[in-house]
Amino acid sequence: MIASPARRAPGPGRLAIQFGVAFALAMLAMGVIVFLVAEERIAQRIDDALQVHVTKFLRPVATGPATDADVIARIQEWQRRKMLSERTYLFYDAAGRLVAGRLDLAAPQPGYSDVTFMGGGKKPQKGRALATRRPDGSLFVVVQHSEAAASLRALLPSVVAAIFVSALLVGLAATILFARLTARRLAETQAAADAIAQGDLTRRIPSNRLDGMFAVQAESLNRMLDRMEDMVNAQRQFSSHLAHDLRTPLTRLRGLLTAETAEADRVRLLERAERECASIITIFDALLRLAEIETGRHPSAVRDLPLRDMLEDIAETMEPVIADAGCALELGRLEPVRVRGDADLFNQMIVNLLENVVTHTPAGTRAKLSLEQAGESALIAIDDDGPGLAEGERDRVLLPFERGKGSGLRRGSGLGLAITRAIVRFHQGSLELADNAPGLKVRIRLPALPEAVQAA
Amino acid sequence: MRVLVVEDDAVIADHITACLGTLGYRPERVASGEDALAAIERQRFSGMVLDRLLPGMSGIEVLARLRAERRLPPVVMLSALGTVKDRIEGLAAGADDYLAKPFDMDELVARLNAVTRRAAPTPPSDTGLAVGRLKLDPSSHSVLFLDRTIELNRKQFSLLAHLMRCADRLVTRGMLLESVWGYAFTPTTNIVESNMSRLRARLEELGCDPIDTLRGSGYVLRSERCR
Repeated sequence: MIASPARRAPGPGRLAIQFGVAFALAMLAMGVIVFLVAEERIAQRIDDALQVHVTKFLRPVATGPATDADVIARIQEWQRRKMLSERTYLFYDAAGRLVAGRLDLAAPQPGYSDVTFMGGGKKPQKGRALATRRPDGSLFVVVQHSEAAASLRALLPSVVAAIFVSALLVGLAATILFARLTARRLAETQAAADAIAQGDLTRRIPSNRLDGMFAVQAESLNRMLDRMEDMVNAQRQFSSHLAHDLRTPLTRLRGLLTAETAEADRVRLLERAERECASIITIFDALLRLAEIETGRHPSAVRDLPLRDMLEDIAETMEPVIADAGCALELGRLEPVRVRGDADLFNQMIVNLLENVVTHTPAGTRAKLSLEQAGESALIAIDDDGPGLAEGERDRVLLPFERGKGSGLRRGSGLGLAITRAIVRFHQGSLELADNAPGLKVRIRLPALPEAVQAA
Repeated sequence: MRVLVVEDDAVIADHITACLGTLGYRPERVASGEDALAAIERQRFSGMVLDRLLPGMSGIEVLARLRAERRLPPVVMLSALGTVKDRIEGLAAGADDYLAKPFDMDELVARLNAVTRRAAPTPPSDTGLAVGRLKLDPSSHSVLFLDRTIELNRKQFSLLAHLMRCADRLVTRGMLLESVWGYAFTPTTNIVESNMSRLRARLEELGCDPIDTLRGSGYVLRSERCR
């Protein structure tokens, strides 16, 4: 087999890029949300601060509520002390003229409002104002220059970009790393798969260096490989048996055809050659049948089978055959049991087993066929008092081309019991060979139909 | 009797035509489904031996075409595909019988004979089936000859009934397994022989054994021995 070139370690692939982008987008969305929340909080704090300062400047004096003059005095006092501030205070009289304060701003509406004014420089500046109408119609205004909020907003594009890029990079890096780690764990599996593809069926994935789902997966793959190896070995054994069983009649055939034969013996020779051909054909027919049943390609007409009638019919057919071989067939108790099944396959199953009595037991052997309902099963028993099978042979003879030690004659295809077992399996039943002391006891259990159905 | 042999394997086709020729048939040989349709277009055939796997048009397709045109002669289909399913497909497509390769020429001839006769009108059978003075009584599974009567078991009875229906024609073991036993598998023991010898022993008690064994091929019930 030609070795395949060593496989390139797989790159992170599209998955990494997809994952990185998704990660980056998620991070971006999160950044925007954080930003919006922060901005909202800052605005809220500015508004709160404005309220505090309004309360502070309009607080009552000892004689009662603060008058306009009190407030103006407070503003002027503040101006005198504070030279530098992000906050300023304005006082307008009822006519809307600016009475105190140093900001060129038209009187805003009472309540909170966003205002634009000319600060120290040439550029207009934005601010937040809280105007409070006093009982006499004058207006007290606190203006806060919202520099913090503005600079926060100015930051937004660069923050967004930074978050996106770094999240993308982190996402990609994480995915690539993850892919690498995964690939390293899968490399063992891949190496094992390659080795198996090269024909080394004994190779398994070493699972001791793996953890978590990788270990679980490796174990399940190894179990699958164990089963496959068994199946392949069974198949190999089957093929080599098949080759052997076909070679034998073929060799004899060639021997016959190439032997120097006198003219007079030609007819006899041709007859023998034909017999060899027939035994090859028998093997092929049986093989085909076995494959047909095992792979479920048999066109089964599954219906209710009256087993008692069918066994009586088979016994009638097989009795002369068994008698001609010098053996005897006896019918035991036959209970009226019905099963779901394929009549043709059922016939073959029982005929095969009775043919084994003819083929594999000496003259004088007595066989007994009986049928009973055992629990939910139909129990078919074929017992004989022949030589039986040794303990170890009983399982072996169920395999294709395996024969009991006693059957030196090699009649038949060597597939009879394998076919019988396949038919039993097809009917979801079980087949058991046991010691009849002396002889062989064959037990077939098939799922019986309930008696209520049988009575009908 | 004119028979069309549709078989692409030259050796098998030669063998079939030569054999049919010596038996008094007039075989015509073609190697493809298309040629078979053309041949049937030209003249009538009493029977056809049709291989299933042909180059180009398959045997099944040939059957379908001829059946649609109502020009299908009695057909024995040959095939290397021998499973029960293949057989059912062949019969469903319109073949009268189906023979898996490899086969005996005797088997093919017997089956061809049976299907071509089947196409001809057959006398009503079963109830009071009779050949000469040999009569069957299905109700009691008994057989009558002159003034004597014997009872047969069910298998022997259906075996004799089948041979009587095919009187004077070769019936092979394979045909008996299929029609008397209904077995689609090949038994490894001599089921037909053993049951046949029991039947013949019973018939001898009756004083009339009209059955001939043709070694290696099958059985014939001779009507002239039933008189």
